[in-house]
Amino acid sequence: MSYSTFNKNQINPLKEPMFFGNSVNVARYDQQKHSVFEKLIEKQISFFWRPEEVDVSRDRVDFQALTESEKHIFISNLKYQTLLDSVQGRSPNIALLPIVSIPELETWIETWSFFETIHSRSYTHILRNLFTDPSEVFEDIVINEEIQKRANDISKYYDDLIFYTQLWQTHGEGEWEVDGEKHTVNMRELKKKLFLCINSVNALEAVRFYVSFACTFAFAERDLMEGNSKIIRLIARDENLHLVSTQQIINLWQYGQDDPEMKEIAEELREEALQIFMNAVEQEKQWAHYLFRNGSMIGLNEEMLCQYVEYIANMRMEAIGFDAPFKQRSNPLPWMNKYLVSDNVQVAPQEAEITSYLVGQIDSEVSASDLGDFEL
Amino acid sequence: MSQVFKVKVNGQHELTVDASQGNTLLETLEQAGLEPHYHCRNGFCGACRVQLTAGDVTYINDPLAFIRPGDCLACCCVPASDIEINQ
Repeated sequence: MSYSTFNKNQINPLKEPMFFGNSVNVARYDQQKHSVFEKLIEKQISFFWRPEEVDVSRDRVDFQALTESEKHIFISNLKYQTLLDSVQGRSPNIALLPIVSIPELETWIETWSFFETIHSRSYTHILRNLFTDPSEVFEDIVINEEIQKRANDISKYYDDLIFYTQLWQTHGEGEWEVDGEKHTVNMRELKKKLFLCINSVNALEAVRFYVSFACTFAFAERDLMEGNSKIIRLIARDENLHLVSTQQIINLWQYGQDDPEMKEIAEELREEALQIFMNAVEQEKQWAHYLFRNGSMIGLNEEMLCQYVEYIANMRMEAIGFDAPFKQRSNPLPWMNKYLVSDNVQVAPQEAEITSYLVGQIDSEVSASDLGDFEL
Repeated sequence: MSQVFKVKVNGQHELTVDASQGNTLLETLEQAGLEPHYHCRNGFCGACRVQLTAGDVTYINDPLAFIRPGDCLACCCVPASDIEINQ
């Protein structure tokens, strides 16, 4: 089952499952099995932004005035976010493109991953402004134990899926020995690995970013680090869209609207998927603990952050068919919402970015009467 | 046809809504002081999801979030009949 960059077989993409069917040949979008993915592409592209558009020069002054514990919170969050987007900027491409089978989803995955690379570039934009030499911050990402713990959980499901896909694409189904270890490769196993991987990515997009977001916006509430907060708003808006795509995939499987075998697997691995989510929630709470170990910041403490994680997790888990596991039903940080409203997101001071305007900005039906008021 | 519908929330609050006014269900809930959940207000994050236990809604913006059977997204819909919701 080796991968071909242009599958020469005649295939009907309308009859293909999202993954593990025939590989995509013609990138066509005139007919779509799951049109929501093209809508996501359109929306995402309408959100296009560049880190350099946001002026972060004032943040340097603000940063110098922060207390040591606040600096720790700020920098640690940036490190963690850099890790998350380093993984997300490549992994959906490497893990999912070789096995995707419908063109609209293939293009969504590429669009999604590309935007994560914008996020990665924006962290460098922020850090370059704060430090003359930011390399110490970047180097700590692969040394710092707290970040390592998270990196392992985030990447292992991707790595597992990638490894088994490679075995399958080079050797086919069967039992294969690699470096003295036996691996059983069959379609059912591959699909299970895919299911767990998507659930892990979903949990990542759903809760893993939000402790960091909350800290950033808490600084912004005090009129501090506002350049950074503008960038994080743009990132939060993109991440919401990425989350919707993984929720769509999981729900399409659960409701049997795609591959019927994935519906079985979704039921079979329900407990495991739940555990992936609960682990992500637990790790975020530990992250809050690590952030505030040297002292908290005005307007935010560990307890409130943990409550916020639970509040967000309830919402996200209900979206993929789990019961809300936590008691926290009201929003403990109500000011967060104003940073998450998509049309409040502003790039340059002079332009409020209204997304509906960007999507349909060209009006090709202009009649002579539209110009009737003009006089020369 | 009248566009005035009743919205029953959590089996207790009863609101009267004129759907022709164009206010989304989310705005209606906010005006009634019910503090609904929301993030993007644009149909793509799914934070405003509420259970729709009776009646129908019409979407005025195309939602991107997956709407599970029995749910609706308050930020981009208006009532299309008398409805009952749980939030």
